[in-house]
Amino acid sequence: MKEDRPKPPLAGLIYGEIVYWGVLAGSLIVIVGSVLAFLGDNFVPVSYWVSSIWKGETVYQTWKGATGALPNGHWYLSHLTTGDGLSALGISLGVFSVVPALFLSAAALFKEKEWLYGALAMVGGIVVVIGVLGLAPMPK
Amino acid sequence: MNLRSPATARSEFSTQPVPLAKDKKHEKKKGKRKRKNRLWSLVTNVPELSILIMLIVGAYMLMGVFSKVESTEVLSASSIWLIIVGSFLISTAIATLAVIGGIGGGVIFTPIMLGFTSLDSLVIRATGLVVAMFSGLVSTGPFMKTKLADIKLTFYCGVPITVGALVGSVSAIYLHKGLGDFGDGLVRLSLGILMLVVAWFLFTGGGKTEYPEPKRIDRLSVLLGLNGFYWEESLGKVVHYQLTRAFVGGIVFIALGFIGGFFGLGGGAFLTATLNLIMMAPVKIAAACSGVLLAISNATAIWTYITYGAMIAIFAAPWMLGQVVGGILGAHLLIRIRAGFVRKVLIIILVVSSMKLIVRGVEEAFGINIPIL
Repeated sequence: MKEDRPKPPLAGLIYGEIVYWGVLAGSLIVIVGSVLAFLGDNFVPVSYWVSSIWKGETVYQTWKGATGALPNGHWYLSHLTTGDGLSALGISLGVFSVVPALFLSAAALFKEKEWLYGALAMVGGIVVVIGVLGLAPMPK
Repeated sequence: MNLRSPATARSEFSTQPVPLAKDKKHEKKKGKRKRKNRLWSLVTNVPELSILIMLIVGAYMLMGVFSKVESTEVLSASSIWLIIVGSFLISTAIATLAVIGGIGGGVIFTPIMLGFTSLDSLVIRATGLVVAMFSGLVSTGPFMKTKLADIKLTFYCGVPITVGALVGSVSAIYLHKGLGDFGDGLVRLSLGILMLVVAWFLFTGGGKTEYPEPKRIDRLSVLLGLNGFYWEESLGKVVHYQLTRAFVGGIVFIALGFIGGFFGLGGGAFLTATLNLIMMAPVKIAAACSGVLLAISNATAIWTYITYGAMIAIFAAPWMLGQVVGGILGAHLLIRIRAGFVRKVLIIILVVSSMKLIVRGVEEAFGINIPIL
């Protein structure tokens, strides 16, 4: 008897598609941000960022020289018209795509009455959200 | 249909010798046509990749021609552009190598950068997570579509690995802040030792078995319903599998998440080995799930670095774009390239960079000067 190829579960498809297209959308924003950084406005000049990293300065020294202190949060959200702000947004959006993917995948699992795995996807999503919100205690 | 290879055909008709040079030319032409067809099918099947590559090339040309970036005392404007474009090209190559070698890109990027450059270790680890994560993120879609990534296994292991990754990334920031150069030395030393283990895994193949059969299935695995099936292309049939040791696997995944978040690398080789050797997942399922899990755990860990300011977007951007392009390319196009050669290259890279890391680690942590490498 000839076997058929098994169909992927809906939850898996939802997860995979959201992450894939989220990453591609993030990449587009990063491209626009990189061009803007070289041709237009920046929160901190590109030459400063690259030179500081190249010199081997620490994260603290780099930010202190740029803005006076560490950002401690999502600094780019208030600088979305700048090249470096947009680039950071693009990377963050690509990473963030995991969050809606996990929650919507959980919803699909709940619909299929896979309560345990739906709950596990939710817990995974909540742990990522804790990271996104910066709720983990950090040194001053 | 004639399925004989040209070599067999030659031996059968030895009375009518076939000109070897002509044969070779014909094979070369065939190979070229095959590669052309594969490239063309990639263009038609994955149009978003072609658009992305065109946009990136156009963007870098624009940035080079109309750049308003000023020179500094350390770098000229053109060398800043070269660093950005060079990072993109190296990142694409790393992603391709990593996909073929079956390990995360972070395992190549982080040890080399920590061993051979003087860049700040937090910046390297944050960028390392970008490198480790994005090729895994883009390959998630194809893995889920082919059902190679088992959604139950992924979400079961996803919880401990994300918790471990979050704790690991926060610990990295504390260690960096609290112990300074001594802490960086310890990080280099322990990463060097860890990379030797990864190299050993690649060298021995980690003792992986294609279709492992568990001798005993624990109650938790049965309770969780950790079993599944997938289409095995090489056999042309559906393969069923049953997983085991769910509890032990969960504990190991906390540790692996911690390592990934702390060092800023993925460690896909360890994830695959855990799923295959401890939880008894078939090797293809283990490899696909490890890619997806790598992306989930790193997506948790990187936020700590982003909110702390350790991810410098302008520096990380070309590395991210390279991973996306290389990840899609590797998954669709280079899957048939001989992995054996790539593995050898990876082993050499890992051994050399781990030696350098151990030497630098000992020098920084204990102030001992070792005049080698």
